[in-house]
Amino acid sequence: MSLADLAHPRYDYSYGFLDEHARRELRRRILKAIAIPGYQVPYASRELPIARGWGTGGLQATLSVAGPHDTIKVIDQGADDSVNAANLRRFIARMTGVATTTDTTLATIIQSRHRVPEERLRERQLLVLQVPDPEPLRHVQPDSSKAREMHAEADYAQMWLSLYEQLVRFGRFVQGASYPVVVHGRYLMSPSPIPRWDTPTLHQAAHLTILAAGREKRLYAVPPYTEVRPIEFDDVFFQVERMAGRVCAVSGARHKFMDELPVAGGGSLFRISDTGYLEKLVRAARGEPVTIGPTYYDAVGRFYQPGVLHEPDAVPPEGGTGHD
Amino acid sequence: MAYVAARGGEAAIQYAEQLHQALNGPLTAERVQLIAQLLPYLVDRVMGEGSLYAPELAALALAQTGGDLYEAVLLLRAYRSTQPRLAYAEPVAQDQIYTVRRISAAFKAIPGGQILGPTLDYSHRLLRLDLLDGAGAAGRVQPVTGSDQRVADTEHAAAADPAQATALDPSLPAVADWQRAMGLLEPLPDTPPPDPATLPDLTREPLSFPAPRAHRLQSLARADTGGTLALGYASMRGYGLVHPTVNELRLGYADVVLRHPITGASFSAGRVRVSQCEVVDTQVSSLRLGYTATLGWNEVKVIAGAMLDLEMDAPTPHPAHREEFVLYHTEAVEASGFCIHYKLPHYVTFQSGLDALRGVRDQGGEVPGDR
Repeated sequence: MSLADLAHPRYDYSYGFLDEHARRELRRRILKAIAIPGYQVPYASRELPIARGWGTGGLQATLSVAGPHDTIKVIDQGADDSVNAANLRRFIARMTGVATTTDTTLATIIQSRHRVPEERLRERQLLVLQVPDPEPLRHVQPDSSKAREMHAEADYAQMWLSLYEQLVRFGRFVQGASYPVVVHGRYLMSPSPIPRWDTPTLHQAAHLTILAAGREKRLYAVPPYTEVRPIEFDDVFFQVERMAGRVCAVSGARHKFMDELPVAGGGSLFRISDTGYLEKLVRAARGEPVTIGPTYYDAVGRFYQPGVLHEPDAVPPEGGTGHD
Repeated sequence: MAYVAARGGEAAIQYAEQLHQALNGPLTAERVQLIAQLLPYLVDRVMGEGSLYAPELAALALAQTGGDLYEAVLLLRAYRSTQPRLAYAEPVAQDQIYTVRRISAAFKAIPGGQILGPTLDYSHRLLRLDLLDGAGAAGRVQPVTGSDQRVADTEHAAAADPAQATALDPSLPAVADWQRAMGLLEPLPDTPPPDPATLPDLTREPLSFPAPRAHRLQSLARADTGGTLALGYASMRGYGLVHPTVNELRLGYADVVLRHPITGASFSAGRVRVSQCEVVDTQVSSLRLGYTATLGWNEVKVIAGAMLDLEMDAPTPHPAHREEFVLYHTEAVEASGFCIHYKLPHYVTFQSGLDALRGVRDQGGEVPGDR
């Protein structure tokens, strides 16, 4: 018998890639995050064989909770078939043996970069959002030690001020994606750079959302059925992106989040951003049997929970002149 | 838009990887060995930033990435994160390092002597074009001349002789020890060094601020060389408060001393190349030290790191005077990873921003971004 016979082969990795210590630590931190909704829990964040900043936080969360009976869907900007999503999916499948799917309704874990699927998530489904910057206070306070103090004291005055400044300067809120929310009436939270269209889907959601930043080493969570409110004023409201008037060039559908595809010579085409959902619409149109889940926004653009979103018309016309 | 919207993303990934490999030539065990033998400083840098001392694996990482440093460091770190921590080595004392190079800019001569050791510091940076023309005998070193005062002044002048350049002397005292004995520096505490197993471990715990001393030194040890240099240079050149002196710069080999789990006996599990730098600042009433050490021989990093260590807590509002700024932004894997993530599609977030911009335009307001 030689030493080589006794040693593990070098290409041997633990189940789910992470070693047992890392896995246990992550699961404990996730539990803490669930117990304190919206609070950023620091964690050690191991290096993974994927570039830092490319979803390593989401990947660690997924790898630490996935088991052989899970079915995983991975999307990047709504697409299952983008190279980055494909790469993460094949890594997770390679390391855990999970089944993969592009169908939101069949997945037990959905790891996503910057989108929430159009079909409503259910109880016992897990949404893992990749987070580049967990700190919603970053642009008012770049120093993370000071930002932590502000969170501890729920001192969000600078955020309200910056919201007001937007109104004064531009006549409206100009935050694009990553629109900050208040979770359970306590912590200000970045929902990750999901478009505003997706922000209300986190409110009183049936599913659990884990948000994990690998590079910044913070993870946080929104447990099922938790209040998640975008910051807004009593008389000037948060608005989602305007999708009215946009028709999906592939499916003819409306009132879903659309990718804008510039056309040579000017103008744009639109296509549904959620490729798994779009694929099902196309198959249904062909007469194939598919199960399409209920969506967050209906065919005329109404959000499924009444009273969460305000119609754009509700903005008072004098709500902001923005020319001075 | 082929890279985002094309069907068959997995096939695209495989072809892209194959193309990369085809351009870089075949990956063979011989190539890896050649890299380990011929490019020791490059291997050292990858090991230092990868925080894993494994020359063979570092050379493999370099071969696999065609020499892309950040990719190689990431490969090593990702491998490292799968490895369990088996044991803790005993602390390495400066006078136990098998020193091959040790210089002090603070004193002309120091106890134990200045040892120039293996360095290109005083060589002429001339490309050996004659080699390309077929001349043999690569790397001939000029004989030592009498003008080399720093070396000639010391009892170890002979160490500059290339024949003895790797002489291992494990009994060179630290310059700081003399300064302590002279009352110029605070004495070391009487307590024995803490059990290494109780030290905060950056690879197992997140960094938070103010960082424990151990985290700061660990963070500097694996910091990006270029990033450390950029911030350190900013401090040295014009934004620093002090003008420190290199108290001691030391390259050598350190024994990795472990304690046998059953017998309790100490034994060396092997030697690693280490470099360390201590800079000293003369203040009105006392001296202050800044320190950085790393695996492998990397002088630029340990000098810049030691300068940063000295100034990271300065009260002035320069970025290099904030621990958080320095440690976060010199993290090689995180900085490079985030930088290249901008290659990923951002069309959803961009669309969201466009929507806000168009909304402002539609109502005739100032366009965001003019801020």
